Amino acid sequence: MSDINPNDSAPADDGEEKDWAAAKAFFDNLKTKTPRPPKPRYAVTIAVSSRTLFNMMAERKIYEEEGLEKYVAHQVEHENEPLKPGPAFPFVKALMNVNSRLRELYPDSEELFDIVLMTNNHAQVGVRLINSINYYDLTIERFCMTGGKSPTGYLKAYMTNLYLSKDSEKVTEAIEEGIAAATMFMQETDKENELSNTQLRVAFDGDAVLFSDESEIIVKKHGLDTFFEHEKEFENKPLAQGPLKCFLESLGKLQRKFYAKNERMNCPIRTFLVTARSAASSGARVLKTLRSWGLEIDEALFLAGAPKGPLLQKIKPHIFFDDQMFHIDGAKELGTISAHVPYGIGQKYHKGKLIEQPAKKE
Amino acid sequence: MVSTIQNTDVKQKDAARAAVVAVTSRAVFDCGAGDGDDVCGVGVAFPLLQALQRVNERLLEENPAESLLFDVVLITTSSQQQQQSSRISSSTRHYGLEVSRFCFSSEEDFIESLLTNGVQLFLTTDRNEATQASQSGVLSALLDQQIAFSPPEQLRVMFCGDAIVQPDTGPTPVSRQVAQSFSTQLGEMRQRFGMFNSPLSIVLVTSRGGRESCGGALQKLRSRGVSVDEAYCLAGAPQGPIVSLLRPHFLLSEGFRNLEE
Repeated sequence: MSDINPNDSAPADDGEEKDWAAAKAFFDNLKTKTPRPPKPRYAVTIAVSSRTLFNMMAERKIYEEEGLEKYVAHQVEHENEPLKPGPAFPFVKALMNVNSRLRELYPDSEELFDIVLMTNNHAQVGVRLINSINYYDLTIERFCMTGGKSPTGYLKAYMTNLYLSKDSEKVTEAIEEGIAAATMFMQETDKENELSNTQLRVAFDGDAVLFSDESEIIVKKHGLDTFFEHEKEFENKPLAQGPLKCFLESLGKLQRKFYAKNERMNCPIRTFLVTARSAASSGARVLKTLRSWGLEIDEALFLAGAPKGPLLQKIKPHIFFDDQMFHIDGAKELGTISAHVPYGIGQKYHKGKLIEQPAKKE
Repeated sequence: MVSTIQNTDVKQKDAARAAVVAVTSRAVFDCGAGDGDDVCGVGVAFPLLQALQRVNERLLEENPAESLLFDVVLITTSSQQQQQSSRISSSTRHYGLEVSRFCFSSEEDFIESLLTNGVQLFLTTDRNEATQASQSGVLSALLDQQIAFSPPEQLRVMFCGDAIVQPDTGPTPVSRQVAQSFSTQLGEMRQRFGMFNSPLSIVLVTSRGGRESCGGALQKLRSRGVSVDEAYCLAGAPQGPIVSLLRPHFLLSEGFRNLEE
């Protein structure tokens, strides 16, 4: 019995088992040998929006300038033209590769990545999305096309472990509901890095991504010196968890399945911590926290405040998560696919200065 | 003995063009055991009736001469309900519900009423009634308690790409013809409105198959003139949580089994 979704404590009911058995029978009988999607309870579910999976910038422009009706009509008119890949596309391909490796080693396991298309596009636009998924032969068998409604409720219903969207409002809503989520950006294409097609590489910032923003609050309010003293004093006290800690945990569980089959040297998942902390003064607490959680990270890179961009260029992750737009921008400029996690005190600051908050719209 | 009474408060619909929907009075009102002339309480299908009414209002706003409207019939299906006929009609008037006709029938002759009144869709909270109607060739849908929470502002009709979402209402499936013609009418009604702010939303759910199934169902419905608004492909994921979020007013699965083929 897997514990990939430890928060899902409700036992499987008869209805759920029935739904699952029927789908299993359906896929097993297909002539095309499409791999059957995993049971959500055991899978690591990644929900991607249509604009992160595909490049819809031109279409988005039509929506913004000419309105919904023209946008839908345009999509329908062009529905047999596949869309170009979007920022989450390489990540999705890398997930599919991990699944193939997992299926080879564990043919009967449901502990796989499950990729769900979660879009608030109208179902008529969905036809083009499905055609595009077919064109690239992506293994996406589950989707929600909500026709304008918020996806948050559906994210929970699909037991989503990570949600990627271009809409920061939806991402913020998801995080507030306890779902790991990040806003993706198209990287500047002329500096595109060549990404591995045999290994999924995921890079995380530390504070306010894997860990809570408690330490960042100290930096912002009391400065770096206080921060260093504090971190040394509390070196042995684990930090509280951040929004992406559970996602790292699920990656770790899948990694251990490869280790169990002697595939550590050839593991198709590699994780990186890329933090502005310095190893000497504040790094220990981070490593000890991870250890106390029973989590491993493959490479921990302490930058001591140096820019993250050049290092990420060398790492070439399929996705890099950070809570500060300053770092996201730096990463993007050098071709790294970045995802902003809108969490914690970092949202109120830009380059160290407090942002003037506009009066909240009622 | 059946008595069919027109509701004189409401303008009658064009029989040739309207979509005749019959709902059991037991689903719409909670008349309790008491007699007398008290107005009945609202039942689970009350928001559904309001939603049907809202579609009609919006259709007439778009075109005051519109004849493709919902023609709502309130039907009793037991002698006990039949005896409450005056409370049912007065409650209907009290709430200002747009019901064109009342069919006061009993368990023996309600099927006959459905047929003579040209009912295209029969909605009930009673599984046996739905089964009987299906077997007689009337498209039926079973209403469950959840619909009490479905919004009255928008009629939400859910098509099930496979028959699992709603349990079978009987061994003899309704003929494709009947199911298709109703869905075509719905599709035509939907076309009267734009993408945004429509009083009618058509939702497709496939629970077993993957994207090919759902994609195929989308195209098939489109070819029948039904433009789906929302689509959910579950591929074995648990339906319960999704369906409770979708808040459909009714689910059509009978006769739609062929959608995935």
